[in-house]
Amino acid sequence: MSYYLLPFRFQRLNEKEEVLVNEVGDFLICSAGTAGMVVRREIDSTDPIYADLLANFFVSEKPIPDLIDVLATRYRTKKSFLDSFTCLHIFVMTLRCNHGCIYCQVGRRTPEDAGYDMSLENLSRSIAMMFMSPSKNLTVEFQGGEPLLVLDKIKEAVETISAANKAYSKNVTYVLCTNLSLLSEEALEFCMQYGIIISTSLDGPEYVHNANRHILGINSYESVIRGIATCRERLGNDRVSALMTTSEFSLGFPIQIVDEYLRQGFSSIFIRALNPFGLARRRDGKKSYSVDQFLHFYKTALLYILQLNLQGTHFVEEYARIVLSKVLTPFASGFTDLQSPNGVVNSVVAYNYDGNVYASDEARMLAEEGDYTFRLGHVQRNSYAEIFYGPKARDIAEFWANESLPGCSECGFQTYCGADPVRNYATQGSAAGRRPSNAFCKKNREIIRFLLELMSNSNDIERVFRTWLNPSWLREQPVCQ
Amino acid sequence: MRIELRQDNLEVRVQLQTYSLDVLHKCFYWYGEDFSVDIETENGSIGLVLLRPKAGTIDESLLGSLSERIRSDLIDFKVRDIVTQETRNVRDLLIAKAFACTDEFDTPVPVQSTDIDHDHC
Repeated sequence: MSYYLLPFRFQRLNEKEEVLVNEVGDFLICSAGTAGMVVRREIDSTDPIYADLLANFFVSEKPIPDLIDVLATRYRTKKSFLDSFTCLHIFVMTLRCNHGCIYCQVGRRTPEDAGYDMSLENLSRSIAMMFMSPSKNLTVEFQGGEPLLVLDKIKEAVETISAANKAYSKNVTYVLCTNLSLLSEEALEFCMQYGIIISTSLDGPEYVHNANRHILGINSYESVIRGIATCRERLGNDRVSALMTTSEFSLGFPIQIVDEYLRQGFSSIFIRALNPFGLARRRDGKKSYSVDQFLHFYKTALLYILQLNLQGTHFVEEYARIVLSKVLTPFASGFTDLQSPNGVVNSVVAYNYDGNVYASDEARMLAEEGDYTFRLGHVQRNSYAEIFYGPKARDIAEFWANESLPGCSECGFQTYCGADPVRNYATQGSAAGRRPSNAFCKKNREIIRFLLELMSNSNDIERVFRTWLNPSWLREQPVCQ
Repeated sequence: MRIELRQDNLEVRVQLQTYSLDVLHKCFYWYGEDFSVDIETENGSIGLVLLRPKAGTIDESLLGSLSERIRSDLIDFKVRDIVTQETRNVRDLLIAKAFACTDEFDTPVPVQSTDIDHDHC
């Protein structure tokens, strides 16, 4: 019996295996060359793999499969983030900061510099614009600089939003991104009152963290550890999260960094590479480390984390979890950096202190270097339609879907990956990017390949990965992150 | 298919009936990091791909593995092309069905309103 092909892509995992991935993300790991055999009709209905191909919508016994409506619903579910439109609203309250981090991406100013705080007029207009989003769920993320330098403005923002929300009845989540060195009783009380989530930076053990993050006269590591403990005690364990950034110095300590997160009572770590913006790009006029170096660091840490899990310690690597949620569940991940269409405008915007609105936080960082390519408009001078649906947004839209990008359109990992026009532009001078030399592509292709290969080689590891995706975690995920 | 090393250029000749220009472009797009790639036709029926290394020269000892990689990649992209051609209509139907009856995409763009009503502050 012959069969009809359904849309799928494939990618080599290694010399012996390849993975077939259909349009809704179902995958089948099989012997290298299987895709060719499927296409050449060399698979017989009595072959063991035929049942898998049929059940997982790689082939059909009819030109149009009976369950095409089910497939369509699943495709729609994968793209469900589009329904809500912009849900993550970043408010850059100030560029002033009391830290001097070696990889700073935001063009920070010193605490004494004037003119770099968000005015109440820009704040008011930004909030008004945020409420025009059709999304029922809004995440308000306060960033800087160091937002606690303008605690009064944070309070004003939250109180204004909360009051205005009586008319809109949206689900609003507040996140305060802070280094915690200026944590005060006043700030704690306010965060308690409004359920504000604290997001801070912990780069690893003291010698790693302090090598990356400097503050004059203060031990940055001790300050953040103290702050985390205080916030947990007053706000609750689940209201405090930490992120690490991998510097060149960090590359030598993957296991020590994971151990530090364990020691500090975290149940997960998000292993992040340097973003190619700001100081991270300008240092010595060249990138501080290669993608291959980061991948080695990442894999070392991930394998260590898996070892911990297999020994009974539940500990998650967040980037892997995000990718795995796209591989192993029918849902969208909610992670704006790994979406197609990309999260710029669709899921996230950044309201800068000066009233300018940017397509993403990274777009704002480019602007700090004098490049306004991804500036969408100004809250005082442009309407919501001009900013969110205007010519700039439409220009970006040409390059925000990996389904139509060179290299990505044929890639077997397309469904699990995303597009990043801002990063492409920043690193390669083109929003479309060039995949063969694209760091974002290289990193994601290898991480996805590695995760699939790990699952193929070990049922135990697949079981660990599935525990990372338990239903309660999926339910708790904010719509945008 | 013929793969030959001539004066530091790797020349790949294929029948266009077997590997279309689309397949050649998609396949050799991925060689762009290490090679300058030119794609031409000869006599209308032969596709000629010229690969010139961006740094150094092609070591003859690596020619075997490079040729094997090229053959393997071409087959892969040919297979992808077949899937794309055969499934184009089903894929279009799938996506059309996925986004059909989505009223929110017909919702007009929000009209600019004034600042937040101060009664709500």
